[in-house]
Amino acid sequence: MIGYIVSLVIFTATYALFSLGLNLQWGFTGLINFGHIAFMTLGAYTTVLLSLQDVPLFISVIAGGAMAALLGLLIGFSTLRLREDYLAIVTVGVAEVVRLIAVNEAWLTRGPMGLYGFPLPLEDYQPNLVGKLAAIAILTAIVAVALWRLWRWMGAQIQGSSRSQWQRNLPLVATYLISLMAILFAIGAIAKQLKANQILPPWGLGIFLIATLAATVWLYVWWARRMFPKLPEWHVSSALIGSVGVTAFGLWVYGCGAVALYNYSYKAGLMLLLLVVLTLTFWFLERMLASPWGRILKAIREDEEVARALGKNVFWYKLQSFMLGGAIAGIAGAFYAWQLTFINPDGFTTLITFQAWTIVILGGAGNNVGTLLGATIFWAYNTATRFILKDIIPLDDARLGAFRLMVIGLLLIILIIWRPQGILGKKEELTLGG
Amino acid sequence: MDLQLFSQLVVNGVAVGCIIALSAVGLTITYGVLRLVNFSHGDFLTVGAYMTLIANGLGLNIWFSIVVGAVLAIAIALICEKLIWSPLRDARASMTTLIIVAIGLALFLRNGVILIWGGGNQSYDVPVAQAVEILGVRLAYYQLLVIALTTIAIVVLHYMLQRTKIGKAMRAVSDNIDLARVSGINVERVAVWTWVIAIGMTALGGSMYGLMTAVRPNMGWFLILPMFAAIILGGIGNPYGAIAGALVTGIAQEAGTYWLPTAYKPAIALVIMIVVLLFRPQGIFRGTI
Repeated sequence: MIGYIVSLVIFTATYALFSLGLNLQWGFTGLINFGHIAFMTLGAYTTVLLSLQDVPLFISVIAGGAMAALLGLLIGFSTLRLREDYLAIVTVGVAEVVRLIAVNEAWLTRGPMGLYGFPLPLEDYQPNLVGKLAAIAILTAIVAVALWRLWRWMGAQIQGSSRSQWQRNLPLVATYLISLMAILFAIGAIAKQLKANQILPPWGLGIFLIATLAATVWLYVWWARRMFPKLPEWHVSSALIGSVGVTAFGLWVYGCGAVALYNYSYKAGLMLLLLVVLTLTFWFLERMLASPWGRILKAIREDEEVARALGKNVFWYKLQSFMLGGAIAGIAGAFYAWQLTFINPDGFTTLITFQAWTIVILGGAGNNVGTLLGATIFWAYNTATRFILKDIIPLDDARLGAFRLMVIGLLLIILIIWRPQGILGKKEELTLGG
Repeated sequence: MDLQLFSQLVVNGVAVGCIIALSAVGLTITYGVLRLVNFSHGDFLTVGAYMTLIANGLGLNIWFSIVVGAVLAIAIALICEKLIWSPLRDARASMTTLIIVAIGLALFLRNGVILIWGGGNQSYDVPVAQAVEILGVRLAYYQLLVIALTTIAIVVLHYMLQRTKIGKAMRAVSDNIDLARVSGINVERVAVWTWVIAIGMTALGGSMYGLMTAVRPNMGWFLILPMFAAIILGGIGNPYGAIAGALVTGIAQEAGTYWLPTAYKPAIALVIMIVVLLFRPQGIFRGTI
């Protein structure tokens, strides 16, 4: 169980790192990159191939990131001077061609056979008690800083609102959220029983699921429309509930991580390393984006002409953002390879790009905390559905995969139409208006 | 140089180019008239091929099935127009919003096809046809048919665009949507007709492609790259440019396999696209946007 949690944390953090790169490109600069996976593929293969040639891992990762940035330079150079749609088209093509090269240049990548047995970070590291405690201390520090920032944000939310208001709303909002979860859980449990006992034929079960889910969604949207306009401070209440939930969940995961580090294994060490890299990247991006450089990127996203009129070299800033985002994806690729300990082109499908898009848009484009939140929600959804959907949906494995992709496609459409700012994004930014 | 093999490749290229032309015309007019970079266009080609498969599976003969398939694909496209594109146009959504919605729709459609039919290859119930041989170059029956049908479709399209009122209205909207609106053109009606023509031709292309190769869920997605190469080469929004661009792309892709491994066909389309973007981003012919 703890081992499973550790791999989930690694996957979540890898996707979060990968999506932070996309968030820089799309969320902050407005660059439509539909080939983000190409950067990850290049980063992963460069790292692995170099480290197989006995190049030190640290240098291999840096080289992987640099190669991904170079790819960004090549793509950006041919398209970033033009209208935004050209970038979208070319990135789709580049991702396809990078995948083809990985499949077909067997002398380099061993094609579909894949690469394995490559050096891994901290592979032979056997910590003594002091080392283990130090590792746990680092993890504690990261979690503590994250929770501290969460509660400081929460404090700022509460400060700005009247106390009696949000306190009165709290039970109502809690009822809304908890009853929604209870109903979804109940539908799942009933469907599981129906499927296990084969009471309904598959199509009957499908209709039952669609009908009950549609009814629930309709009911809760109706309820939200009636209730929330009457509760002026409801977002403070829901933020408070969310913060408590995130804290509890975070502490539970932290407990699992600490136990895993104490019974040290390779995966636990990788998890810690990845969390450190993620934290540093996050901190670096936040610093950069709060600087004038970040504000210029946002200006370009909102209106390129304004930035140009202010004398900024728009092409150059776009190129920097695109390359930096690509480099981050490349480094995420190295961790992806280390987590899997085996890479072949099948591991780098176009799908991952769109998972990252869902993460960024769900969390709130242009908000790095949102991206982390989006990655967590996405993996929670992914894990839950992997175990649950199988029991309640009358479909075989291949079709279940297709079904989950349909959900991602639908989610992208619905989010961008009804809530383009995602969970944490700013409504004034990135909305529909042209 | 093996001339016979090379001319065989060029002939194959013309046939594939015709498929790309049929679908690229649709892509370029939705791009030009509706300002929509439709990443789901390739998947509408797939949907067209599968709709034909349904009709064919019900025992209809293949020609009738292709017509039914095109009508069903148009119906699906019009549902999307009503549910998604028309409201977004009214909200004056930006081009980036439309692009993301289109890619979401592409994922939805392609996986919907996999959900219903599974991921494997399917084929139409048609008699095996003889190939014709001219000077050592084999011309498969369905290749000839594709070339003939594409020519007819293009002539009809030309007539529609140049002579009918709706064709003129489409060209007007494509040139300048606001100017078209103030001169009393009903833009919503133009949008509907754009979808009818675009998806009709694309679905026809999908069925033809299915006849030439096999019907599979990602057939259209893999054609989206050559389609974009074709319309960028021909100038975005220009249907005649798209046809010329499609033939060039199709021939370059097939003839390129004379020197390159077959697997790198999409790379040829990408290279064409990037070279055009670097040196002549407006395309060879005049585009409208």
